[in-house]
Amino acid sequence: MSDENPSCPTPSGGEPTSTRSAAPMWIIVTTLVLLFLGGYYFDQHSGWFNPKVYAPYPNAEALGAYQPMSGDAAALARGKTVYESVCGICHGADGLGKPGQAPALAASELVITKGFNRLAHIPLAGLNGPIKVCGKDWSMAMAAMGAALPDDDLAAVLTYIRGAWGNKAGPVTGDDIKKIRAEIGKAPQVMTGDMMMKLPE
Amino acid sequence: MKTGISIFIAAFVALGASWCGLVLAPSLQLGGAKETVVLQSADHWPQQRTGDATLGLQVYRASGCAACHTEQIRQTGVATEVTVTGLGAHQPDDFGAFVKSLFILPTLVEYTNAIAASLQGWHGELPRTLLTSANQQVVSEMANRLKAIGVKSETRIVPQGDDIIARGWGYRQSVAADYLYDQPVQLGGLRAGPDLSNIGVRMPDANWQWQHLYAPKSVVKTSTMPSFKFLFEVRPVGHVPSPDALKLAADFAPGPGLEVVPKPEARQLAAYLLSLKANVPLYEAPFTPVTAVK
Repeated sequence: MSDENPSCPTPSGGEPTSTRSAAPMWIIVTTLVLLFLGGYYFDQHSGWFNPKVYAPYPNAEALGAYQPMSGDAAALARGKTVYESVCGICHGADGLGKPGQAPALAASELVITKGFNRLAHIPLAGLNGPIKVCGKDWSMAMAAMGAALPDDDLAAVLTYIRGAWGNKAGPVTGDDIKKIRAEIGKAPQVMTGDMMMKLPE
Repeated sequence: MKTGISIFIAAFVALGASWCGLVLAPSLQLGGAKETVVLQSADHWPQQRTGDATLGLQVYRASGCAACHTEQIRQTGVATEVTVTGLGAHQPDDFGAFVKSLFILPTLVEYTNAIAASLQGWHGELPRTLLTSANQQVVSEMANRLKAIGVKSETRIVPQGDDIIARGWGYRQSVAADYLYDQPVQLGGLRAGPDLSNIGVRMPDANWQWQHLYAPKSVVKTSTMPSFKFLFEVRPVGHVPSPDALKLAADFAPGPGLEVVPKPEARQLAAYLLSLKANVPLYEAPFTPVTAVK
């Protein structure tokens, strides 16, 4: 270590010199440890390599969107589509309802019931308040929005709202809807809240 | 040689690192590849080759086919298209106007005018492709709207790229699973000739393959492929002509009283070529088979 100051007069016969100074050992050790941990982490994830994903698909999610769906996944996707084009306008894409328009479906005691007889009656026959949802009184009218939907589509929608946004009720099939539709008959009568609550769950 | 040991260690580390990167890591990532399942089917992919076709791979290799032919289809994009297959109660004349009035959603507006314009002068020929777009949401939105008004339509996934569309070499890109039973893999690096990944579907006739191997210009006039005559035997016709004798045009036939029959190598090579197929959709390379649209 040279501690000569160039501005100071140098001793006669000598020039200022510089020497090497070793980096502190702890910096070297920390760098190596960090490099090792980084490399280990990268390696554990295979460098985020997915053997199923090829260009032009940017990631597994984009590739998944191109898979032809069947069975439950297809019904759920169909339910979401129908919900967003028919029901979501008033009930909201997030299922939280809209004040002055429609009550929430997420965690609604009319949706997360064990059976779905009452629930299926609402879109098939229509409902004319007053009802109570999540502790709030609603006195609105809903037309029979589901009466024009095919059985499968209505079943998909009900399955979707009973499974989305944290709801955990069981699925509805097209045959169930067919039965309930036949029960209601060809000329559905708009229900009142009391009439609906008298129906079997 | 004071630094000998340092040079040895440096060389060892350099080679070891590249071995880890080029051999070990890919083998850990893809070495455990197994047969996959064909989309929307219970069939497995790829199919194990027959004995003749397995031997044919070695003939392919020995004949240097991979010097001019590749076995790798490239794909540059993917599009979704919606095709009308039935008009229901609608008339072709008012359908264009109807489409235009139907798609008022902001997501579809920019497509609607183009579709309505393309429907002018259309007289109801079906199937009719309405929209091809890389935007999957727009296409499925379109299909849902069509369904709502009672028009029947089909949505297809169409891989894009010159190899697939312009050259017609296959239906989708090649993926690792396609090469599971190739030993060694004949990827090829130069395309003096067409890609052969799907030749078994494009030219499924063994006799055509033999004629092409014996005298390429007899079936493809502009071919620059050399003739592989050594895979065939030219011999005098016996009491009965061989059923496998090549049906060659007069210019390419060996002469009167002679016939050309394939040697076992030619049979094996043709069996291998016919086993080269890339015509099924896989998870990693989805597409809608053409046969689905009637």
